[in-house]
Amino acid sequence: MARMKHHDRCEDQELLSAYLDGELRPGELDAVVAHLTDCLDCVAEFHRVKEIRAALRTLPELELPERLLPSEHLGPELSAYLDGELATIEQEYVLDHLGECADCRAEFHELDAARTAVRSLPGLEPPEFLMTHRATSPEHHHVRWRIFTAAAGVAAAAAIAVGVLSTPPPASEVDVSMFFDQHNARASVEHGFGAIPAFMPQEGAP
Amino acid sequence: MAEELVPTWEDVARRYGRKIYNFAYRLTGNPDDAADLVQDVLLRVRKGLAAYTPGSFDGWLWRITRNAFLDGVRRRQRRPTSPLPDDDRLLASSSPSPDEVLASVRLSEDIQSALLKVPLDFRECVVLCDVVGLTYEEIAEAVEAPVGTVRSRIHRGRRMLRELLTWPV
Repeated sequence: MARMKHHDRCEDQELLSAYLDGELRPGELDAVVAHLTDCLDCVAEFHRVKEIRAALRTLPELELPERLLPSEHLGPELSAYLDGELATIEQEYVLDHLGECADCRAEFHELDAARTAVRSLPGLEPPEFLMTHRATSPEHHHVRWRIFTAAAGVAAAAAIAVGVLSTPPPASEVDVSMFFDQHNARASVEHGFGAIPAFMPQEGAP
Repeated sequence: MAEELVPTWEDVARRYGRKIYNFAYRLTGNPDDAADLVQDVLLRVRKGLAAYTPGSFDGWLWRITRNAFLDGVRRRQRRPTSPLPDDDRLLASSSPSPDEVLASVRLSEDIQSALLKVPLDFRECVVLCDVVGLTYEEIAEAVEAPVGTVRSRIHRGRRMLRELLTWPV
């Protein structure tokens, strides 16, 4: 390489990295090799660069966390989708997948039914004794409270059972658009209830 | 026939996910940022594959990766980062002796800390060359710079690293 001449301070030492990487241009190789036979500075530099290059190349390769690999089916994305918590690009992916995967559609309906059931639970008035300052014995509080929590549990279980039992027929027969209409209708009247974007593919769409 | 050359999004995730993760980890020193970058890149790839025409797939992918990384850097600009030691649980499976593991972890921690002190333009070229294993041509395509510039950055980046590290020659 004509450019790499032996000066007080050699220029173009970047050719040493290119040499180590097998990236020299035609005509440069002979010049680098010839230069290295009589320039101690460049020989020392060559060894320094070679050493750091080798160290970089032996850095341990990290495993990709499993959760970042694509799964065959949708998981937490379904709930995030129902709650309107996905970025647009993620929503598109979920919609595409729902359009072509009956298993995930079935899962989607079950999750939505459970979510709807929980959200449909009536708001309960706190027991009167909690709202008054009337002195009562601790034991009395305990019994009353147990009755109250048991009643709430029964109400929750009933609501979930109704939701699950009213789950639509098998996924292959489901009209997804009907479900989405219902969902969006509720979203239009209930603040904080995530609406589903309008671009959901219709059942059987390509 | 040409359509068969375009990989699916899942193919890209399985084939390149680990490389992208390592690229991001070596550039940021932070596993969470690296995981975020992988997710971001895969989403961009998924969106971009529809418009991708078969050609230099690596160049295309790494340009997306690098742009996603730079966007992430801009987002985190005001957030301080500190290098974390390599976690044994994260390392690729192998069975070196405990001494070898210790020496290797210490060495990689030193290199990782030094890498984070190298200016980004140089660091990304060094990482794409020595960690990801791209050719100068592919790196030039990824960082959108001439091959001569890439060649210079790789060498200068390695020199900076060597000066930052304190091992005996």
